[in-house]
Amino acid sequence: MRLSHRLACLVIALPPLAIVVWLFFIPFLSSAYLSLLREDQWSLRNYYLVWRLYRYDILYTLWIAFFSLVAVLVIAVFLCGYLRIHINRPVEFLFKIPLFIPFVVVGHAMRVLLAPKGTLNAALSQIGLVNMNDPPSIAFGWIGIAVCLIWKNLALAVLLVLGSYRSVDETFLEAARNFGASTFQQIKDILLPMSKASLAVAGAFMFTSMLASFSVPLMIGSGEPPQMVMIDVFYRINYQMDYGTANALGVVSYLLAMGVAGYYLRTIQKGT
Amino acid sequence: MVEVRVENVRKMYGKVEALKGASLNFKSGAMTAILGPSGCGKTTLLRSIAGFIQIDEGRVLFGNDDVTELPPQHRGTAMVFQNYALWPHMTIFGNVSYGLRLQKVPEAEIRRRVLKVLELVEIGNLSDVETRKPAALSGGQQQRVALARALVVEPKVLLMDEPLSNLDAKVRQRLRAELRRLQKQVGITAIYVTHDQEEALALADTVVLMNQGQIIQTGTPQDIYLKPGTAFAAEFLGVSNQLEGEVADGKLTIAGQTVSYAGPVRGKAVVIMRASDIQIEDPAATPRPETMALTGILEESLFLGAHYRQYIRVGRIVVMADSADPRPTGAVRLVLPSEKVQVYGQP
Amino acid sequence: MTRRTMRMAGVVLAGMVIFLPLSSLVIWSFAEKWYWPHLFPQQTGLFYWAKVMQGDLLRALTDGFLIAIVVTVLTLVITIPLAYVLARLPVPFKPLILMIFLLPQAFPQLPVFVNSTTLLYQVNLGGKLGGVVLIHMVGALVFAVWTMTAVFKSVPEALEEAAINLGASRFKAFYSVSLPLATPGIIASTLLVFLYSLDEFTGTLLVGSPFVLTLPVYMYRTSVGYELQVASISALMLMVPGIVLLVLLERYMKSEYLSMFGRI
Repeated sequence: MRLSHRLACLVIALPPLAIVVWLFFIPFLSSAYLSLLREDQWSLRNYYLVWRLYRYDILYTLWIAFFSLVAVLVIAVFLCGYLRIHINRPVEFLFKIPLFIPFVVVGHAMRVLLAPKGTLNAALSQIGLVNMNDPPSIAFGWIGIAVCLIWKNLALAVLLVLGSYRSVDETFLEAARNFGASTFQQIKDILLPMSKASLAVAGAFMFTSMLASFSVPLMIGSGEPPQMVMIDVFYRINYQMDYGTANALGVVSYLLAMGVAGYYLRTIQKGT
Repeated sequence: MVEVRVENVRKMYGKVEALKGASLNFKSGAMTAILGPSGCGKTTLLRSIAGFIQIDEGRVLFGNDDVTELPPQHRGTAMVFQNYALWPHMTIFGNVSYGLRLQKVPEAEIRRRVLKVLELVEIGNLSDVETRKPAALSGGQQQRVALARALVVEPKVLLMDEPLSNLDAKVRQRLRAELRRLQKQVGITAIYVTHDQEEALALADTVVLMNQGQIIQTGTPQDIYLKPGTAFAAEFLGVSNQLEGEVADGKLTIAGQTVSYAGPVRGKAVVIMRASDIQIEDPAATPRPETMALTGILEESLFLGAHYRQYIRVGRIVVMADSADPRPTGAVRLVLPSEKVQVYGQP
Repeated sequence: MTRRTMRMAGVVLAGMVIFLPLSSLVIWSFAEKWYWPHLFPQQTGLFYWAKVMQGDLLRALTDGFLIAIVVTVLTLVITIPLAYVLARLPVPFKPLILMIFLLPQAFPQLPVFVNSTTLLYQVNLGGKLGGVVLIHMVGALVFAVWTMTAVFKSVPEALEEAAINLGASRFKAFYSVSLPLATPGIIASTLLVFLYSLDEFTGTLLVGSPFVLTLPVYMYRTSVGYELQVASISALMLMVPGIVLLVLLERYMKSEYLSMFGRI
């Protein structure tokens, strides 16, 4: 390319690049830098604090993300299989709705629904399934968070998995149906194995987003340990102004996200 | 071996009538080709027999069993698809054995039957069928595997939907011959859908010609080719000239020239002449009896490999005629035996 | 069970899964008195709807819309040329550029935005509308660059080459061929950028608090402050633009665009 063209490209690319570099790339790198500083001295004390204070929170976060991911994928694999084989447009449309409902709203809605004195317990106590003097609390615990993450991510999973199922040519299914394969067998033997790579990508995408979930645990978390990692970062900054530990925790979360991405990238390469 | 009958089968897609009441017998143990242009309803008919399509009206019978309401898996058909539809994530063995596994056939018997059928379709080296995936095979080999997958479950009826259309010409011709051999050897009732008239004529015991959701003609390949019942059939079954003419007082007028005509058609007519039936003569030669002759100007002669195709202007129209040798341009006479001229009344 | 009843059962079940959480919001927004453990409120009315129309909610609503409009316009203006160039020309360092625009999707945003906030305060944009606009643009750009690059890639290059072949300049070809053909995709992407900004929570909370208030942050505050009616009304208002968009665009929206929405 001519020099003037290169310059034109640069001018075009500069403003958006500048914003992302300034407000994401540099802060991202400075996480690593700040995490190694303690009272203006190089130190690993921040990571020691992360280990001492937050190791169970990291496991807790991984557990919630893992549980929600497995639940979402299992439901999506079979729900989409059903939707692929027996077309049901209304159901498909309904499952797109959560895509357009922000996490904060999901958090609040589940808080109202699942709190000890929430709508669900009120409904269940009417038919005597719940003791109204000691109602169970699904919100304010890991299950509440998981329910929110599953509800919201299911829409995304349905979108991605159904898209990849639709790209499986109808004749592959007809050939199986011809031999008497049931809906379940068509999903298990044909659709699922032929969509493995897209499923891995969708899974990686959702797992990092679940690890990094912030507004949901903020809305329906209990405020007491164990907490999800993002809440710890937020509290560490907001209440203790401890940027060192917060950034060390941030770096740990980046590493988790990278680990997941790496693992899934390998799976995809093996799959093809 | 079972006879397949369809009775007055109708199918609508929205407002389009894909099948307008088709009735037909497919002889047991024979190969029947359903031939027609794309969109004629032939694939719809095949899929109705397979059970992939719910028909709106009519019945489908296998022998004496009414299978109209049965889902595909309970009909005992096996289908071979145009795109092979071999599952890419399974090995060759996995593909062929899938139907038997669903039937919960014992493992040892699965092995025996799969290897036997793979041998039957001449897949070649059998040693690595359990490790190789279909993508490693050529198109022709893939279609052999697909055929094996269909035959291994010992279906009552073998259905083939343009199985050779994705293959190149050479492979197609060889597989055509083998398909016929296999079908005779196994003795299965086979229904074969194609838009390729040469393929239908070469393969089938019976050819069914379809157009616009209706069955136009049924017969042996020879019948269909030599005695096409309608202008459409004649046109579809060979490179032909389709000319407009008019019959009055025992005379047929084509492009301003008049020839004698003794057939039953009156008024406006469609005249079909196969390019291969027309001979080109010097206009000065003596006319022969029992022939029809038109005079015209030879404008162009194209070499097509097996023969030359001449384009002759007769009045306002151009007639094609094939010959073994090229001819110089200029005035010619076109001659063909009267019985080879097919005249159809206009609908 | 017949096919039809199976289908209906599916629709009812899916409807319950989707609408059960949302229905409590509707009930709460009209509840004036609601004591545990009654299934429905003792007294319903529009009291809280009238109340929120005067307070902070209105300000959060107008500020949120203002921010979203500014973010959308700025993002569009700087993204369309970049997306076109990335889709068509052999830009130097293209993989690196694309990777930088992928980062905010691949890593947790909150710990990064903590440091971004510090940077914005250094240039005196913390707690200001401008700062919130910029932090929204980080996410919006990622989203817009990827979708619009795909949109421009989907316009066959041959159409443009035909124009250039007839003597059009590259700019003219872009302006008269590619841009009109890409318009539907650009509109879809624009609407989604707008919705993203309207719904953004993390960045707004960190950069804007306590001075800039948008609807999601307002809703968060009222919800954790147990003003459940007010929070539910805000939540319903937050849902409206998304649902409208979904109904309007459902048929036209490619799944790649929709999938970006899993993160808000």
